[in-house]
Amino acid sequence: MKTRKKLIGIAIVLVAVIGFAFAPIQKITVKGSDTMVIVAQKWAEVYMKKNPNISIQVTGGGSGVGISALINGSTDICNASRQMKRSEIDKLKGRYNTLGVEIPCAKDGITIYLNSNNKVSELTLKQLGDIYTGKITNWKQVGGADADIKLYGRENSSGTYVFFKENVVKADYAPSCQTLPGTGAVVNAVKKDKNGIGYGGAAYAEGIKICKVKKDAKSPAYEANAQTIAKNQYPISRYLYMYVRNKPTGAMKAYIDWILGPEGQKLVVETGYFPVK
Amino acid sequence: MLSGVLLIGAPSFSQSVTDTLKERVDELKDRLNGIDERVLTNESDLFKLNKIKISGYIQAQYDYFENRLSYPSNSFQVRRTRVKFQYEPADGVKFVVQPELGPGGFELKDAYAVANAPWLKNVELWMGKFNRPNYEVEYSSSSREVPERSRIIKALYPGERAIGAKLEYSPKLIPLKVQVALLNGNDGLTFKDASGNNMNTAQNVTNKDYDNFKDLMGRITYSLNLGAGVGLDFGFNGYLGQLKATSTTTIKGDYTLDKSDVKVGDALKRNWLGAEFQLYADVLGGMSIKGEYMFGQNALPGYITSSSTTTSTTSLNATADTLTISNITTKDNSQKPNQINKFSGGYVYLVKNIGKKNQFALRYDFYDPNTQISKNDIGVKKYETTLDDKKVNLTTVYSASDAQTIKVVSGDITNATKIKATSGVSDIAYNTLTLAWNYYLNDNIRFTLAYEMPMNEKTNAVDSKGNYLVYDKGTVNGITKYNYYNDVFSQNTFTLRVQAKF
Repeated sequence: MKTRKKLIGIAIVLVAVIGFAFAPIQKITVKGSDTMVIVAQKWAEVYMKKNPNISIQVTGGGSGVGISALINGSTDICNASRQMKRSEIDKLKGRYNTLGVEIPCAKDGITIYLNSNNKVSELTLKQLGDIYTGKITNWKQVGGADADIKLYGRENSSGTYVFFKENVVKADYAPSCQTLPGTGAVVNAVKKDKNGIGYGGAAYAEGIKICKVKKDAKSPAYEANAQTIAKNQYPISRYLYMYVRNKPTGAMKAYIDWILGPEGQKLVVETGYFPVK
Repeated sequence: MLSGVLLIGAPSFSQSVTDTLKERVDELKDRLNGIDERVLTNESDLFKLNKIKISGYIQAQYDYFENRLSYPSNSFQVRRTRVKFQYEPADGVKFVVQPELGPGGFELKDAYAVANAPWLKNVELWMGKFNRPNYEVEYSSSSREVPERSRIIKALYPGERAIGAKLEYSPKLIPLKVQVALLNGNDGLTFKDASGNNMNTAQNVTNKDYDNFKDLMGRITYSLNLGAGVGLDFGFNGYLGQLKATSTTTIKGDYTLDKSDVKVGDALKRNWLGAEFQLYADVLGGMSIKGEYMFGQNALPGYITSSSTTTSTTSLNATADTLTISNITTKDNSQKPNQINKFSGGYVYLVKNIGKKNQFALRYDFYDPNTQISKNDIGVKKYETTLDDKKVNLTTVYSASDAQTIKVVSGDITNATKIKATSGVSDIAYNTLTLAWNYYLNDNIRFTLAYEMPMNEKTNAVDSKGNYLVYDKGTVNGITKYNYYNDVFSQNTFTLRVQAKF
């Protein structure tokens, strides 16, 4: 009798083990912000190692592309370095009858990239706006060398493009501003161009000079770091977001909770961004 | 000596290699510059092309109509074929053209320009032909959860679009939207004369503006995020308009006299107010409850008709030995009076998303086109009177020829103008229930299964012989058929639609 019970027990365990071994892999797609793509890939890699039955696919393309994918159903999670526009929420309402769920997952300071040889080390918000609208065209106007300023920026599907435009430029970008497909491309361009200026997420600032930013001429200049971001001193700081269509449940909720937890936030810091809290 | 020669030769050899390399590098640099230029040109062209957006959708469907008074009772049709071209040459400037390319022919649905001056920031100016500012009108047919708009919206805003100018204000920091439009006002309306021709024409073009009156339309909406996935959009709208009177008498909705001294061309006012809401909640997936209610006064221009017949007769009175020759024209004038009447109506939607691909929708809409008359008065109430007196304008000329008198009577007789309007089908109120199931194969393809059930108001109005006065009539396969309004008769429609969107 005891032997029989043992055998039944072993059989149940075996079936369960085999069953779980063949448990369907749950797939989560993540699309959107190029600013967030590095940290999103790190999140996915680490999480999938700990949860082998979860498959997470991460692609960039820009916040606008991610939001469109969320609306048309081709992604589960959208990464965005800007908030959704009213017109985008209206489309989500029309298709899914929801407002969407906004989940701030990290903080970023939009960093101003200068070439390492550029004499300029700090700029006010107004100067940045005037540079990017084409009102200031020569570095000597802001204390630099007598050379034309070369503008590098992002395409209009980028959340960084939108955020920078709404909060710093506050008008149309100068027609001479070269649009590049990703923050990495902006950094590379500025690295090679001694008269170049670019902007993008803090995590990409390598091999270039970081320009300090002042709110106005009388304020102190700050570099984007954990302290200045946490104290709201750095003038161009923003949240980075994840958006989902409905309240997350199941595997997606577990993943998002992990991202917002200590392990996920540690990866945020390691990538060069700042924790959400 | 040899080493000397070699020593002398070595620098010149390395110089020539350097020169060759330099030449090669320069050549490659020139080629790269050339490629750079071409890439820049292509980028510039691509940048311009990226400003043009083309989108559209096709809706093909099968309909089955219950109790239809025309043939056929079921058919396939291409309900809508729209292609929208949008060009944004600069931030804040947009041109849109959207033709409808249906089997019935070509129609321009939208054609407008939008401008947003930088110094005005959150204000846009629209000019051209665009959707009237109303929730259900502006909600695209490709997104709408049921096949057709509600009865009241189709009645008040036929064709959805109007020609005019519109200002839209949407501040960035407040979830508010204000729309004010100045429109021609006669867009899409149909008012027929005695022969059934649409009087809403000018220079033989239907819907072309034909008077100096312009209509004003306004809408204000606000969005609230109530937290926990609940959002509420609500707003108010209003319409101030007028149509041209085409008859000299105006009656009210209860078929009593309003004015008898109207001049053709005077204004017939049509004004209404509305309130709307859309509630969104994340309850096991998305769900919304949306509704609108409108009430006010609508107007329908009348018409004037005249006809004349000339009768020629010859008669002999043998006793009086008189030959009478008469040539008399009889003129008849009649008018259908203009009408202004109160109306009310609205709709409520319940939409529930089930997973990513399925969606259930239910809509209840109600419309009473004339709240001043109801039930058994419909068909009975009428306005009937005459204007002027009968005018006789005859001349008699006598002449004699030998033994006979010849009397020639000529001229015209104008009968008193008859003015008549009778209540009927156009005053019947409707409540309609529509059920629909949508399946989204992907973002481009959607299947819809819908069943629309209109329920008409009843009237037992009969004539002196006991025949029902209010009915629809049609001919099916040579047989005349009637749907009487003494009961709710089935006018249901089953629709199976496939929509392809790009």
